[in-house]
Amino acid sequence: MNLRFVTRKLLRALITLVLAVTFVFVILRAAGDPVLAMLPDDTSPEIVEQMRQAWGLDLPIWQQYLRYWQGALQGDLGTSIYEGRPAVDLVLERIPQTLLLTVPSFFFMLIVGVPAGIWAALRRNSGVDRVIMSISVSGYSLPNFFLGILLILVFSVQLRLLPSAGSGSAAHLVMPVLTLGTAGAGVIARFVRSSMLEVMNKHYVRAAIARGVPRHIVLTRIALPNAAIPVITIVGFMIGTLIAGSIVTETVFAWPGAGRLLLDAVSSRDLAVVQVGVMLIATSMIVTNFTVDMVYFLVDPRLRYGSGQGEGS
Amino acid sequence: MSVVTEHPALDLVNVTIDLHSRGRRVNVVDDVRLSIDAGEIVGLVGESGSGKSVTCLAILDLLGHAFHVEGDVRVAGEVGRTWGNKSRRGRAASMIFQDPTASLNPISTIGHQLIDAVGRLRGVDGSEARAIAIDLLTRVGLPEPEIRLRQYPFQQSGGQNQRVMIALALAGNPRLLIADEPTTALDVTMEAQILRLLDGLRTETGMGILLVTHDLGVVAQICDRVAVMYAGRIVEQGSVADILDQPRHPYTRGLIAAMPTMTGARRHGISGAVPVPGARPDGCAFAPRCGNAIDICRSAVPALADSGGGRIVACHNPESQTGAKLDEAFTDHRAEAGLGQPLLELRGVDCAYRVRKPGRLFGRIAEFRAIRNVSLSLARGDSLAIIGESGSGKSTTAKLVMGMEPPSTGEVLFNGTPVPRLGTPAHRDYARSVQLIPQNPQQALDPRMHAGRQIVEPLDIHGIGTRQERIARMHELLAAVGLSADVADRYPHQMSGGQNQRLVIARALALKPKLLVCDEPTSALDVSVQAQIIELLDELRRRLDLALLFISHDLRVVRSLCRRVAVMHDGVVVEEDEAAAIFGAPRHPYTQSLVASIPDMSRARSTSPMATGGPQHLANGLAEGIAGP
Repeated sequence: MNLRFVTRKLLRALITLVLAVTFVFVILRAAGDPVLAMLPDDTSPEIVEQMRQAWGLDLPIWQQYLRYWQGALQGDLGTSIYEGRPAVDLVLERIPQTLLLTVPSFFFMLIVGVPAGIWAALRRNSGVDRVIMSISVSGYSLPNFFLGILLILVFSVQLRLLPSAGSGSAAHLVMPVLTLGTAGAGVIARFVRSSMLEVMNKHYVRAAIARGVPRHIVLTRIALPNAAIPVITIVGFMIGTLIAGSIVTETVFAWPGAGRLLLDAVSSRDLAVVQVGVMLIATSMIVTNFTVDMVYFLVDPRLRYGSGQGEGS
Repeated sequence: MSVVTEHPALDLVNVTIDLHSRGRRVNVVDDVRLSIDAGEIVGLVGESGSGKSVTCLAILDLLGHAFHVEGDVRVAGEVGRTWGNKSRRGRAASMIFQDPTASLNPISTIGHQLIDAVGRLRGVDGSEARAIAIDLLTRVGLPEPEIRLRQYPFQQSGGQNQRVMIALALAGNPRLLIADEPTTALDVTMEAQILRLLDGLRTETGMGILLVTHDLGVVAQICDRVAVMYAGRIVEQGSVADILDQPRHPYTRGLIAAMPTMTGARRHGISGAVPVPGARPDGCAFAPRCGNAIDICRSAVPALADSGGGRIVACHNPESQTGAKLDEAFTDHRAEAGLGQPLLELRGVDCAYRVRKPGRLFGRIAEFRAIRNVSLSLARGDSLAIIGESGSGKSTTAKLVMGMEPPSTGEVLFNGTPVPRLGTPAHRDYARSVQLIPQNPQQALDPRMHAGRQIVEPLDIHGIGTRQERIARMHELLAAVGLSADVADRYPHQMSGGQNQRLVIARALALKPKLLVCDEPTSALDVSVQAQIIELLDELRRRLDLALLFISHDLRVVRSLCRRVAVMHDGVVVEEDEAAAIFGAPRHPYTQSLVASIPDMSRARSTSPMATGGPQHLANGLAEGIAGP
C-alpha cells in the first residue's frame, strides 16, 4: 500500500464521477424541459422564456455544461428549481433517513445470507439445502416493489400488524428493511454456499481434517475465511443494489429518504437535485469498491506480499 | 532411539469397503490385509483406481457416509476411531499428501498452523507450543525456523511446504504416518531429500510409514516391504527385493516393465485400464489385461497364497519363482536418427522478463533473465530432451520455440528463418509446422467439444480439405494414436487421462507438423499409461519423421525416449550430449547430482535399506487368516 496506489485509485474515482455526472447531465436535458414541466400548461411563452433565461437553460448545452462545472469547482452544485435552496442541502438532510434504512438492510443481508449459505453448504443436497436455495432464488427474483406491496398486503392490510407507510418507529422499519435486504440475502446465501462447497473440497481442508482439527474449527477458522474472499466482491455489488433498491423501496413505503427525493426530482426535472443525487450514488459506489479492495488486502496475504514466486520457468 | 511397541503401527484385518450410491452397493476395496511394524516403511503401489487412496482414507476415518467399512482397522493396536478417548486423527495416525502447497491453508502463516496443531494435539499452549513448533521445524530440516513461522505457504517452495506438512503430521507424535504420493509433485533432488527425511524419521521416532506411490523407484529406495493393489485387492505382497527382482503376479511384472529405467530399456505399458468399481469382471480382475490368463482366471477369484518368506501372491498362474529377469536387450532405436540440416536452432538466446519485486504492491521492477546464452539444435526425426528442475529455464525455452516469447538477444530459427511471434499472421503458418503437447491434457482440451470435433478443429481453422476429407483424416489420426473410432463422440471427461493425452497428440498431428514440443507430457499420468504415451511418441517420431523437443524433469522418461539430452540449470545449458553419455558418465556436477538422485529400481535393489528378515509374524498371521474360515 503506498501513495501511488492510492493516487491512482483516486484518479480513477474522479474519472468515474465526472463520467456519471456528464451522462446524467446530457440525458436529463435531452429528456425534456424542466421549465415546461414546472409551469402550468397555459403559461405564456414570455414567462417560459424568462424562466429559461433565469436558470440558464436557454444556452447551448455545452455552455450549460461548462457553467455547471465552473460552479461545481467553486462549491456551488446548483439550486433546486422548486425549493429555491441549494440542492446539496436538500439531499444531505435526507441522508440520515436513507442510512436508517440501508444500514440495517445491509446487516440483515449478511446476518441472514451468510449463515443460510453455510448451512446449505453443510447439508448439501438435503431438504434443508433445497429449501434454503428455493427461498434464496425467490428472494432475489422478486422485484423490490412487488415484495414491498406483497408485504403491505399481508402485514398491513390483512393482519394489520405493521404500518404501511412513513417513518418514526421501529415498526416502520420492519417491512422496508425486509424488502430491501431480501434480494441481497438471497444472492449472498447462494454465493456463500458455492464458495464454501468449493473450499470444503480443497486439499488444505482435507489435510486439516486428516490431522485431527475438530470439525467446527475447520469450519470457522479454515474454511470460512477462505470462502469469504470471493464473497467480499459480491457483498460490494450488493451494497450497490441496496442504494439503487432504496429508491424503489422508499417510494413504496413513503419513506422520507434521499432515494425518494431523487425519484421526485427526476420526474419533475429538478436538474440540480438529480445531479447531486447521482454524484452521491457514484461516490458511495466508489467508496464501496475502494473498501472492497482494502478488505481483500487485509484478508488475503497473497495480495499483501505479492505472490512470492516468479513465473515458473 | 527406536520406540519399542508390541503392536504393529498399522494392522488392517479383512478390510472391505463398499460404496452405497443410488441404492446400489459397489465394492471398492475387497478383503485387504496389511500390517506395518513400528519403524517399518511399507509401499502400497497400483494404478489410479486400484483402491489405494480409499484404503488410506479409511485408516483415518475420512471416508464419507456413503462408504461402508467392514473389518478391523487397528492403529497401534487400537480398534475403532479413537486414540485414548479422542479422535485417532493426528494422534495415532497422520497423513501427508501429494500437493503440499495446496494442503496448507493459504491465508494462514506456517507458525499459526503449526502452533495450533501442537497446542491441540499435545495439550500445551503459548510459548511451549511455539518452542515445540520450532523444534519440529528443525527436525524436518528447515533452517531458520523462527522466520518460517512468520511465512505463508505461498512464500515457500513445494519441498519446503512438504517439510512443513511433515512437521504438522509429527505434531501429535503419531505411531503411523500415511504418505500419499508425497514426492510426486516435487523435483528429483527435492524428492530424494524428502525420502531421506522420512527414512530418518522412522528410525528416530519409531513410527510406521505407509507410503502410497505409483513410482517403484521410490519404493525401491526406502521401503522395506511392498504391497501391490489392483482393483481393490492386494494381489502381491513381499519384501522389496523379492517383489522388484522376481515379481510373481503378472500385474506386478507389468508395473515394473512399465517403469522407465536408467538402463534405457524400452518400457512396456500395460494395455487396457483398471476396471471401475462395480464393473469388475468375474474371476481375477486382472485377467482381461493379463498375458498369463488361463481359463480359471475368468471364473474364480484367486486367493492370496503364501509362497514362503513373507511372500503372498493372488494368482492362478504366477510367474515361476525363478522368473526371467526383466531386462531386455537394449536396442538403440534412436541411432538411426538423422543428423541432417537442423530444423530448429537456438543461437545464443537470452530471454529476460521484467518482474515486480515481491513484498510491495508497486515494488521495484527488476529484470529476471530466465535463460542465458542458450544454443541448441534439432534435426528432422531427431529427439532432444531438455531436463532441469522447475526454475531452470526449460519451459521458457519451450515458449521461445513456440513463439510465445521473443528472445531478448540471439536467434530462434526454424528451417533457417526466425520464429514469428504468437499473434502475428506469420505465426499462423508457423503453427502448422510446430505443435505443443502440454502437461495436462484435460486442461488443453475443450470440455464441451467431442473428441472428433477437437481433432477436426485445426483443419477447419487452417481450411484444409473438404468436410469429408477432414472427417476421414480425423479417423486416420484416431487410429494413429491408438484410439478406437467410437471415442470420436465422447467428451474429454468421459475419457481417461491417457486417452485424453492421445487425443491431444492426435490434434497436434492434424496439421502434419514437423516438430512436436512436449512439455512434461506424461507427468500427470499413471506410470503404466506414461509408458504407452512414450512408446506412442517414439513410434510417431520414426513413422512421421517428426522432430521431438521433450521438456521434462523425469530423467528416466527422457533416457528411454531421446537421443540427445541438454541439462539446464539456472537458465544455462550446463551439459549437452548423447543420452547414453549424460546418464552413463555425467560430467557437470549438477548433472551428476540429478542422475544420482533418481530413484531407480535397479540401483536401489543392491543398496535397499530393508532388513531381509522382514516381519515374519505378520506374514504368518496373514497366511493363517487365509487358511482360516
